[in-house]
Amino acid sequence: MDTASFQFVLFGLAIALVSNLNRSWVWRSTVLLLASFTFIGLVTHSPLVLIPLAAFLLLGYACLLMLERGWSRHSAWSILAILLVYIWLKKYTFLPHGIFLHSPYFTLGLSYVLFRVLHLIIESGSSDKKQHIGFIDYLLYTLNFTTFVSGPIQRYDEFARDQFAQQPIRLGPRVVGLQLERIIRGFFKVNVLAMLLHAVQKDALARLSHPLPLSLRLYSAFELVILPPFFVYANFSGYIDIVIALARLMRVRLPENFDRPFSASSFLDFWNRWHITLSTWLKTYVYNPLLVLLMRRTSSRTLQPFLGVFCFFVTFFLVGVWHGRTSEFLIFGVLLGAGVSINKLWQELLVRVIGRQSYKALAKNFTYIAFARGLTFSWFALTNFWFWLDWKQLDEIYSALGLVSWLCVWAGVWLCATIVLASWELLRTSLLSIKTSEGPVLTHRYARVAYASVFGLISVVLTLLLSQPTPPVIYKAF
Amino acid sequence: MTQLNAENSDMKESKLPRRDWILLPLISIFTIFLLAAATDLVSRTTFTPSKTGPSDCMRSYPGKGVQAIPNSVCWNKGSEGELTEYRFNNCGQRADFECKPKAANTYRIVMIGSSFAMGDRVANSDSLAALLPAELSQQTGRKVELYNQGMLWGLPHSFWLRFDDVLAAQPDMILWPTGPWDIQNATVVLPYSKSSFDKKDAHQLSSMSFTGRIRFSIGYFVRNIVPPSVTADIAQIRLMLQHYLYESQSLYIDSYLLNASDAGFLAIEPDAEWKTHLADFETYSARMEERAAAAHVPFVVVLVPNRAQAAMISMGEWPAGYDPYQLGNELRAIVTTHGGVYIDILPGFRDLPNPEQYYFPVDGHPDARGHAIIAGLIDKALITGAAPELSVANQPQAVPARDK
Repeated sequence: MDTASFQFVLFGLAIALVSNLNRSWVWRSTVLLLASFTFIGLVTHSPLVLIPLAAFLLLGYACLLMLERGWSRHSAWSILAILLVYIWLKKYTFLPHGIFLHSPYFTLGLSYVLFRVLHLIIESGSSDKKQHIGFIDYLLYTLNFTTFVSGPIQRYDEFARDQFAQQPIRLGPRVVGLQLERIIRGFFKVNVLAMLLHAVQKDALARLSHPLPLSLRLYSAFELVILPPFFVYANFSGYIDIVIALARLMRVRLPENFDRPFSASSFLDFWNRWHITLSTWLKTYVYNPLLVLLMRRTSSRTLQPFLGVFCFFVTFFLVGVWHGRTSEFLIFGVLLGAGVSINKLWQELLVRVIGRQSYKALAKNFTYIAFARGLTFSWFALTNFWFWLDWKQLDEIYSALGLVSWLCVWAGVWLCATIVLASWELLRTSLLSIKTSEGPVLTHRYARVAYASVFGLISVVLTLLLSQPTPPVIYKAF
Repeated sequence: MTQLNAENSDMKESKLPRRDWILLPLISIFTIFLLAAATDLVSRTTFTPSKTGPSDCMRSYPGKGVQAIPNSVCWNKGSEGELTEYRFNNCGQRADFECKPKAANTYRIVMIGSSFAMGDRVANSDSLAALLPAELSQQTGRKVELYNQGMLWGLPHSFWLRFDDVLAAQPDMILWPTGPWDIQNATVVLPYSKSSFDKKDAHQLSSMSFTGRIRFSIGYFVRNIVPPSVTADIAQIRLMLQHYLYESQSLYIDSYLLNASDAGFLAIEPDAEWKTHLADFETYSARMEERAAAAHVPFVVVLVPNRAQAAMISMGEWPAGYDPYQLGNELRAIVTTHGGVYIDILPGFRDLPNPEQYYFPVDGHPDARGHAIIAGLIDKALITGAAPELSVANQPQAVPARDK
C-alpha cells in the first residue's frame, strides 16, 4: 500500500468515489481523515509502532498552539525541538547509538510530516494575522494519505483553500479523464519504466565487479552514470503523478513536483524543475531568511554577490543532507551545494566579464544552452552516485576503472547528454507545433487516450508477467 | 506543465462533446487491439517453435520409461533456439557413432541424465557429450569416449530402472550431470499423469500474492475457457516478453525467486517439500551408487546449476534466506555418503560475468556456449583428481594445461 501498487491506486480511487458522494467539506474531510487513518493502519503491523509518530505530531501541535497564543519569541525553540526530535527518531548516524529507541517504530512519511509541521510553526510564528488551526484540520493536513509517503509538500493555505471550500473545485468528465490518464501514466512510470531502468542499472553494477575488457567496463560505467537520474525521475515523478491525480479526484489540487527537469539549462534551473516543492520549501525557509540576515550584517558591496552564492550552497547542502542519515549524503549535499553555487558564481563572473546584455544574449544561444543542459545532467548524474551507492560500492566501481577512465566516461556522458537532450528538445518542439484548433495534436484527448491505453496495457501485462512486488517509491525512505 | 495547461483549457470547456463518449472508448479498444496484434505478429515471426521435436523419436519401454528409438532422426526448433537435429544411433543414444564393444586402452564414460545430458536444444557437436571426451583425450593423452545415455525425462527413478543398460555398456566411469529439476522430479517415470500437476497448481493458489492470484486466475481462464489456438498465441507472446525481460540478470533472479515453483532449492532452509525431493533423490542415487560400486565403476555426480543459480553465484550476492551453494552441499553429502564422487563446478561460475547469457532465458537449458563452459569445468575437475584414472598427474603423455 505504501507504493504505487494496484492496491494503492484502487484504494485511492475508491476513496475519491466515496469522497464525491457529497460535496460538503465536512463530508470530504471526514472521508479524507478516515482514509488517512486506514492507509496508515494498512501499512503498519501494530498500533504500538505508531506511538513515536503520534508523539511527534502532538509535539508539533503543542508548539503550534503555544505560538497561536502569542508566545512568538519561542518559535525558534519550537523549531529546534521539532528538529532534534526528528533527528533522534530518524536515528542519524552521527548521534550515539545508545540514545535511540530500540524497539521498532513507524517512520514512513516522517520527513514530509516534518516539513508540514515546520511550515505551520514558522508561518504561525511570523504571521501577524493569527489563524487558528484545529486539531482535526492539523491531522488532515499532516496525515493526508495522498501526500503522506513522499509529498508533494503542500502549503497549508493551499490545502485549506481546496479541502475546506464551501464550493469545491469542479470535477467534470474531462478533468476525471485527465486524472485517470495521469494515474495510468504514473503507474507506467513506476512499475514499468523505473523497474526496467533499475534492472539495467543493477546489471551494470554487477558487471563492473568482473574482470571484463575495458570497452565493456566503460559501457557499464556509462550505463551507471546515465541511468540513475532517469530511474529516480520515473520512480518519483510517477508516484507523484498518481497522488496528484488522486487528490484532484478528491477535489484538492496538489502542487506540481516536476517540470521536465532534464530540459533545465543550468543547475539552478534544474532545481526549479526537480522536487520543486522541496527546493521551494528550503528556498522559502532557509535561503531567503539566511540571505536577508547576512545582507543586514554585511556592508561590503563586493561581498554581497557572494552572499547569494553562500546561501545557495547552504540551502542545497541541506537538500542533500536531508536525503539520508549516513556520511554519503554529506558528500551528496556538498556536491549539490557546489553545483548551484558554482553555477551562480559562473553567472556573476560572466556578467562582470562580458556584461549583462551579452550574457543575456549568450544565455539564449542554442549551442550554449545545449552544452549547459548536458553539463547540468552530467553533474546531477555524478552527484547521484552518493545518493544510491554506499562507500563500499563507490570504492568498487572506482577501482574497476580508475580516475582517468572515469573522467573519460563523465566527459562522454556530457557530450552525449548535450546531443541527445538537444535533439529531444528539437523533436518535442517540432511535434508540439503540429496543432489543431484545440491545441497540439500530441496533447489532444484522443492522443492521450491512445497513450493511456498503451501504457495501461503494458503495465498490466508486465505486472502480471513478472509478478513481482511493486517497486518501492524511492523517496519514501527519506 | 502540459498537464496543467490541459486542465486549464479543460476548465473553459467542461463538457465533453457527445461523440467523444463513443469515440474515446473506441480509440482505446482500437489501440489495445493494434498493440496486441503487432506483438502477436512479432512473436509469430521470431518465436514460433517447430511442430516436430525429439519426443517424436521416442517411445515408452515397459518398465524403463521413455527412451529413444534406435536409428531414428528428428528435428526440433524450440521457441528460443535454432533448428536442431537429434540423431539416435543403434543403441538409441544421441551420438554420431555406433555402439560397439569397448576397444583396448579406451576409457569409456557412460553419461546418464536428463535433457541437459542429452544435449537438448544444441547440436550434438556442441553438446557436453561431444566436447568432454575430446577435451579429456587432449588433456590426458588417452583415448576417452563417452556413451551418452542421457535422455529427455531421464530422471533418477527412470535411470534406476534402466541401470542394467548403463552397466552393460562397460563403463570405466558413470557420469551423472544433474540439476534442480531432476531432483525435484526424482520419482517421475514417464508417461505421467497430468492431473497430478494441476492439483499441485491449485494447492499453490493459497500461498500466492495478490498479483500471483490474478495471474493464476487468468491462466486458469486461458487454459480452460479460451480456444486452444488463442491460448497458444498468448503463451507465445508471454514467452517472447519473458525472453527479453529475463535477459536482465537482476530482473530474472528477482522474478525466479518470487515465482518459480522450483526455487525452493535455493533457500538456506529448504521447505518440507524440498526435503522430500532430496530424500527421493537419495533413494535412487544410493541404489545406483551401490550397484556401481559392486561393479567397481566410479560413480561421479555433478550438479549443473540452473540459470538463476548460475547468475546468483556470479553476482556474488543474493537476498537473505537464499544460498545458491546450498543444493551443491546437500548433494555432496548425499553422493559421498554412499561411496560416489561429487564434482563441484559451482565455484567456477563466480568469475563468469553474466553466466545467465549462456542459457536460454525462458527454456532454461544451457546453450552451446553453456555446454562448452560446463564441459570445461567438468574436464578440469576430472583431470585434477576427481577421477584418478584421468588425472593429468598420472598420464605420461598428458598435455600440460598451459599448452592448451
